[in-house]
Amino acid sequence: MPAIILDSEKIKDSVRRIMDLGGTGVLKCVQCGACSAVCPGVKAGFPVLCRMLIKKLLEGQFEELVEETSTWGCQACNRCTEVCPQGVRPQEVVFAYRRYQASELAFSSSATTSQMNLYGTGHAVFTEAGPLREKVGLPAKAPTSAYDEKAQKEIQTLLDDSPMGELGLF
Amino acid sequence: MAKVGVYVCHCGSNIAGVIDVEAVRTFAETLPDVAVARKELFMCSDSGQEMIKQDIRDGLVDKVVVAACTPRTHEPIFRGALSAGGLNKYLFEMANIRDQDSWVHAQNPEGATQKAKRLVASAVGKAAKLRPLEDKYVDVTKAALVIGGGVAGIFSALELAKMGFTTYLVEKEPSIGGVMAMLDKTFPTNDCSACILTPVMVEAGNHPNLELLTYSEVEDVDGYIGNFNVKVRRKQAYVDWAKCTGCGACAEKCPSKVPDEFNMGLSNRRAAYIHFPQAVPKKAVVDMAHCKSCGGRAIGTEPKISEKTGKPILAPCEKACPADAINRTLKWDPAGEIKEIKVGTIVVATGFQVMDKGWFKEMAPDNKNVITALQMERLISATGPTGGKLLRPSDNQKPHTLTFVSCVGSRDEKHHTYCSRVCCMYMIKQARLIKEKYPDLNIYMHFIDVRSPGKDYDEYYTGARRMGINILRGKVGGLEVLPGDNLRVLAYDLDAGSPVEYESDLVILATAMELPPATKKLAQTLGLQFCGSGFFKELHPKLGPVETATEGIFLAGCCQGPKDIPDTVSQAKGAAAAAAVPLCQGRVKIEPTISEVQTEKCSGCGICVPLCPYNAISLKLHAEKPRATIDITQCKGCGVCTAACPSAAIVLHGYEEGQIFAQIAALTA
Repeated sequence: MPAIILDSEKIKDSVRRIMDLGGTGVLKCVQCGACSAVCPGVKAGFPVLCRMLIKKLLEGQFEELVEETSTWGCQACNRCTEVCPQGVRPQEVVFAYRRYQASELAFSSSATTSQMNLYGTGHAVFTEAGPLREKVGLPAKAPTSAYDEKAQKEIQTLLDDSPMGELGLF
Repeated sequence: MAKVGVYVCHCGSNIAGVIDVEAVRTFAETLPDVAVARKELFMCSDSGQEMIKQDIRDGLVDKVVVAACTPRTHEPIFRGALSAGGLNKYLFEMANIRDQDSWVHAQNPEGATQKAKRLVASAVGKAAKLRPLEDKYVDVTKAALVIGGGVAGIFSALELAKMGFTTYLVEKEPSIGGVMAMLDKTFPTNDCSACILTPVMVEAGNHPNLELLTYSEVEDVDGYIGNFNVKVRRKQAYVDWAKCTGCGACAEKCPSKVPDEFNMGLSNRRAAYIHFPQAVPKKAVVDMAHCKSCGGRAIGTEPKISEKTGKPILAPCEKACPADAINRTLKWDPAGEIKEIKVGTIVVATGFQVMDKGWFKEMAPDNKNVITALQMERLISATGPTGGKLLRPSDNQKPHTLTFVSCVGSRDEKHHTYCSRVCCMYMIKQARLIKEKYPDLNIYMHFIDVRSPGKDYDEYYTGARRMGINILRGKVGGLEVLPGDNLRVLAYDLDAGSPVEYESDLVILATAMELPPATKKLAQTLGLQFCGSGFFKELHPKLGPVETATEGIFLAGCCQGPKDIPDTVSQAKGAAAAAAVPLCQGRVKIEPTISEVQTEKCSGCGICVPLCPYNAISLKLHAEKPRATIDITQCKGCGVCTAACPSAAIVLHGYEEGQIFAQIAALTA
């Protein structure tokens, strides 16, 4: 593994970019590791999450991490925010970095599928349950956006106008 | 016409790095009344002061303005230079062009230079109108009070007593000793805390100049340096301490059980009890809040007569007492008694408390096997609840895996942001003591980082690693309670970059040191201030570590901030030395920059009397008419009365109306 090259300009740039994306507490981190001690993502084996992600970002590794998949292991449980003694709000840093990764289209195909589903039906996960519903005496079509063109149009407009739309997925 | 000398200081680069000193000097030369304006790299240096003295001797100047750092640290130096030059020292004015200018406007040199000119002009305006003033002196009471009987208070009081001053040591508990008396052993020498403290406690108890006022609290303090009047409330012990021999017979017979404060609630004491085995003074106390008044023996009642024997039925405690020190027939006053003492100086050494574990929900605080470090201290102490055997509280079984958790409530924005300073070391100490005694135990310690900066401390820490104590970098995130009283530790190994989980039988939390809330009332009585960390604030963080903003009141020990025993003892002796200075001098100076009533102008309206925050003003008869009079020993020179007087009868010396108006005129020119 090559050595990390510490470059103060690069570090400043990394910190500024992560803060601009919403990770405003990143500089408060003292690297105590309490966040990683309780993080289910870290326990599940995502190494560059919580403390380690912040550590790398604070060393100026911003663009280098773009393909890192660990960040997608965050379950947004927010235990890190609860136990952090310095008010870093690590989850916000993780999400901030995810925003950058998303803007570079560096996320897994499974994430794309759920986005496409959302765009098409208004549900990230959707299964056709018509026959089952009829069997238990309910109308086949549930009163949701999946069967409502007007609602779908509204959702599509919202997504098109959102930062998600700018990614050009849809 | 006044001949003002202006001296502009570079303060190295502190001032000259921002402000154009030469421009300020040239500007000063153009001001009215200025006879000479000079500059110097360091005005406080010998050469700088000599410059002032020479100009005075040469008759060039008769008022002095120094534009420099701050009067807080440097005014006395320049006043001294004036005196040495043969001028009244109050003919001096300082323009603060460092703290209030170059430091705050470092990014704007031009603006800072303009501001410096204004500040100098203002100081010159005032200086030209200054009048000579004379210091006043009052006698002092040659006695001292030390509040708090922990290791800090004991050493402060002993030092003062040894210097020959009558010293009162007030302690709220029945015995002196404080937290140190509760400790098992002390780092880094592992000597027994009680063994090294007890002789000192006994010495304090026996010293002819030292009066112990235990089971007492300071109720009220008024007066000023040299002459404090203190009211001390001796709490009601319901035991005649003159007769009590400390045999403990009453405690043996008392049936009532209460959690023992000295054992941090890990065992019970009786309602009649002796604080701890090495107590000084060793006297019993009946804790009336938990007394059951056995046999209907309420305090202050005659005993019932037994129908069988015809003899009075006494409570077990009074029956057991061989010295007749407990007499429940007496009408004891529950409020205790007030003792009034007069002292010249006061040392505050009220100590600290450890934070309650209940604040930390993620650390399973309700579990019996999660304890604070001070509880651990009692658990391994020979005088503790288990006689020194390491048994976990839930089932009295020997634990196999121990976990130490650092920075619980310290270095935490939600609680205390400061480092509690001794936790790393006492955790290592406890781990070492346990490992020495039970080498087969697994000990894990979790630190954010280990702080061991004292003498011989790092060797102590590296020794712990060599003994096989497992030290992990990374803060513990939480504890989970498992069936069977065990706990799962959720930790993280920072160096490996991976999470750590294991089962532990006993978890010790190093909770933060903090100021006990009860001391807030004392702070109000004494006029003490708090620092950002919530402890008592010293006069100056570096150069006034034992002094406070209230003259004659000094600080020692953990009430000023977290400290280990060596630092506490050093500070306690330092505080005693500082507190002895006014007592040795026999008199204290009163600054003449205080208010005075010009009786002939006073109408006796009395508006000033209730406005004075120091109760220094009263109406006294003057030619048979009531006129305001100011007690010079109480006046602090705040100027409230001067501003409020409708007859302009009150002068604040050194800040007279003409002087202030001259400043305003210079600033608004």
